[in-house]
Amino acid sequence: MEKFLQYDKLSYFYQTKESEIHALNDVNFFVEQKSFASIVGPSGCGKTTMLSLTAGLLEPSSGEIKLGGKKIEKNDSRIGYMFQRDHLFEWRTIWQNIILGLEIQKKHKDAKALALAEELLKKYELYGFKNKKPRQLSGGMRQRVALIRTLVLNPSLLLLDEPFSALDFQTRLNVCDDVYQIIKSEEKTALLVTHDISEALSMSDKIVILSSRPATVKKELEISFEGTTPLKKREDKNFGKYFEMIWRNLS
Amino acid sequence: MKTKINYSKAHAKYLKNLKTEKIIIAFWQIVVIVGFLGLWQLLADTGAIDPFFFSSPSRIFQTIIELGQSGTLFLHIWTSLYETIIGFLLATVIGVFIAILLWWSERLRKVMEPYLIILNSLPKIALGPMIILWVGSGTSATIVMCVLICIVITIISMLNAFISCDKDKILLMKSMHASKWQILFKLILPNALPDFISVLKINVGMSWVGTIMGEYLSSKAGLGYLINYGSQVLQLDIVMASIVILCILAAGMYAIVLPFEKRAKRN
Repeated sequence: MEKFLQYDKLSYFYQTKESEIHALNDVNFFVEQKSFASIVGPSGCGKTTMLSLTAGLLEPSSGEIKLGGKKIEKNDSRIGYMFQRDHLFEWRTIWQNIILGLEIQKKHKDAKALALAEELLKKYELYGFKNKKPRQLSGGMRQRVALIRTLVLNPSLLLLDEPFSALDFQTRLNVCDDVYQIIKSEEKTALLVTHDISEALSMSDKIVILSSRPATVKKELEISFEGTTPLKKREDKNFGKYFEMIWRNLS
Repeated sequence: MKTKINYSKAHAKYLKNLKTEKIIIAFWQIVVIVGFLGLWQLLADTGAIDPFFFSSPSRIFQTIIELGQSGTLFLHIWTSLYETIIGFLLATVIGVFIAILLWWSERLRKVMEPYLIILNSLPKIALGPMIILWVGSGTSATIVMCVLICIVITIISMLNAFISCDKDKILLMKSMHASKWQILFKLILPNALPDFISVLKINVGMSWVGTIMGEYLSSKAGLGYLINYGSQVLQLDIVMASIVILCILAAGMYAIVLPFEKRAKRN
């Protein structure tokens, strides 16, 4: 078992005017390469703090996070971040949105990178919308564009911060399916943070349950279903059993 | 791209109603101005109001023609227009630049905050006498007044637009390794475009206020000067004629800014 993403005795404190808050306490777990892991936990337990630490946007107070055996640096380029909302720039076309990261990293004239962008657009049925503005696309398509914008930079780890919470239920199930399949077919390792148990269940190979603050790993759960897509997994006979187990650990 | 589609009769009726409504509004707009001018003229002609104090549309028209023939009218228009446009451009460019500086440094922003608030609430005309002492009377004093009136609101509005940018969007840029310059040019500035357009619209009005105020204080030419002169020699025709021209110029400048707004909205 290769420990691709590894949390080692991770602790984090943050300061407010009133006090010092102990957000994370001795968090230890790992995620295998090309697998999909989810973090669930009671609200306010520090799930998003975990992602910010993993993305290198925050520094751990103690302990460390390693990716592929190497410590995560500030704004680590091996990591792609997907947010709650798609945050597409309305003044840019879909194509311009997708190559935003390439522009920033001055790779927008790199033929290989551009070819990858085109390929992803074609593969995920967005090529025809290349020159459209984001507001002309549906919520699900926008979220797909946001994912491709991240994938174009070729990250080895994808962080997803409740990426479907802004969508209505029906769209949510479909987009969840889409995003899952894109991540799997691009062979990325993914770490999802969510408060939605069924969402975590339908996408993950492993679920990490955090306790309330100061958060620590309460339980790790390996998930295996017969179905291969989130929608199919939701129909699995063991789905309810897992759900109940997680639910009990959360409350 | 306009394709002809046969909609139902109800839709045709709806479109027709929209059109009729537009015509009705335009009609009444004309009625208001024609009625106002007609009534004014009538009251002046019948002696119900004294044209010496109230002037009349025909006398205003006459005055504009006379001023035009003597050539002084264009000098006044040109002077005011020049002062307003220079003041408008300077205030907008310098104001946006200062707003960028304040966005860039949070510390500078916090230091400057109370002073901006004081400057914003200060009636800028109070600085008039000092401006004249510092830059001399005439065109330059008027331009300074114009800039002073526009710049504070420009800074405050643009700064608000810059700092109200979605935090997650900035985080997104950072997660892609954007430098502060890149965040500024690729996110903050384009994101603030709609606010910039409204600042332009506000500044069109404010810069005319600045110009007229500046010319009241001290000037040898300009529409503000003409109004002041007219009232001092008790020639209300000149005052009214200047105001009419002022209305036309201000509306014209506003009309130049409007297409920018339409374009920004389409994008």
